[in-house]
Amino acid sequence: MTASGVQVNTLTSATAAASEGSQVQRMAVDWRSGETRRTPAVMSAIANLKGGVGKSTTTVMLADGLSYFYGMTVLVIDLDPQANSSQMLLTERGVQAASDQGKGAHHLLAEFVAGRPASAAPFIMPNAVSLEELRVAEEQDERRGWISILPSHPQLRLREMGLEEDWYSRTGTPTSLAKSLTDYFRTAFAPLETLYDVILIDCPPHLSPLARAGLALSNVYITPTIADSVSTWGTKQFSEWIGTHVAPDLAERNFVLITRFRDTRYARQVASDLRDVYLKDRWFGPTIPESVHVLNAMDRPAYDSYNTFRGKYGGVKQDVRRLAERFSDFLAQRTGSTWQKIRD
Amino acid sequence: MAEDPRLTPADYLDRFFDELRLEVRSNPKLAARLVKALGGNVVFADEAKADVANPYALAASGSKSRFYSVFATMKPSQVKRVMRENNLATSVDMAGKNVSQLIDMMFERATSKVSERRSSVF
Repeated sequence: MTASGVQVNTLTSATAAASEGSQVQRMAVDWRSGETRRTPAVMSAIANLKGGVGKSTTTVMLADGLSYFYGMTVLVIDLDPQANSSQMLLTERGVQAASDQGKGAHHLLAEFVAGRPASAAPFIMPNAVSLEELRVAEEQDERRGWISILPSHPQLRLREMGLEEDWYSRTGTPTSLAKSLTDYFRTAFAPLETLYDVILIDCPPHLSPLARAGLALSNVYITPTIADSVSTWGTKQFSEWIGTHVAPDLAERNFVLITRFRDTRYARQVASDLRDVYLKDRWFGPTIPESVHVLNAMDRPAYDSYNTFRGKYGGVKQDVRRLAERFSDFLAQRTGSTWQKIRD
Repeated sequence: MAEDPRLTPADYLDRFFDELRLEVRSNPKLAARLVKALGGNVVFADEAKADVANPYALAASGSKSRFYSVFATMKPSQVKRVMRENNLATSVDMAGKNVSQLIDMMFERATSKVSERRSSVF
């Protein structure tokens, strides 16, 4: 327990947390050989240059959906200094307590600044689970899906700004800093890739060096967007930047999600245009409605509060299920592996 | 709306206040909002308390005794409803707890959320 009374670390290390779950998590089946095998984690950036499109909500829904329905071991890396997905998973108090215990992306960044060896595991919160079913299974030593997190904190942007000032004063450039961070993080996360099924990187809505590193590390790109004209235009900007600088084959690696959908004639038209005209070469997930259920699901009452999947997601539980199914189909197409569903 | 020539101004306004009275009697939330706007202090009937009690506002007032005095008179089902509707607990969290334990949990969580979300500058 911390001084504030919040227990934030029930396991000794992220590595232990992930490996304990791996016995029941190794469910990837090779399509071609039919053999069950462990595949490296798919690094998935949740990104859009436009803010307010539901990146953090998508991150949390995917983490819950994949761990609950497929028993996947999920790591959330929150690189957005607004720390919204960290807050949704850990609560505000939990985010602060984690930071006080030396956990978080801002502490990992401090290691980079200090020139220390790259290792992400010590900075990860092994337990970011809020679903009662996952907690109970864990308690009974029958782990069936788990979520860990490298949390963010508002300090992350301040530390990044300090790093940028220092880097640029020594004739470094934003691109060289982004590349150095990418290399450092690649080394730091490499040991974790065999311990997790999916790593979700929640990227900030801008192209800071840290954000660029997150994008460069990723195998696939999840783009939440809203069915309106400014978001459609923002999706174009995002596609062009990523396609030019990071992933020329973006179309094959892009999973698009229309979020905060209000069922109006205008929104239906924009959504249709996105699917049929502007992003017709992309994978689309289910449309996530604008809903009070979504807002409630993202407001965890306390760090020691748990809820059943049905209780947490209420009227949008089928949307979260479809999101997990559709994304696992997308991953199957990308990696050649499939995951067995363990819950309906 | 055109003025009805058969009504005096007082009769005309009475219609409006009659409608308002009717609505306030059946809608405690609206009653609470109107009382708040007028700046008065009133006592709500027990059955209406769960509709109007705001645990965050009570926790923010800093008075633990006032917080407890409001909720201690409620039925367990009312306390649970307040906690659920204010996102202070899930059904899983509340299972097996008595009223006293529920109010303790509500006070601790509401106080915690207020301190996390209220600016320390203003």
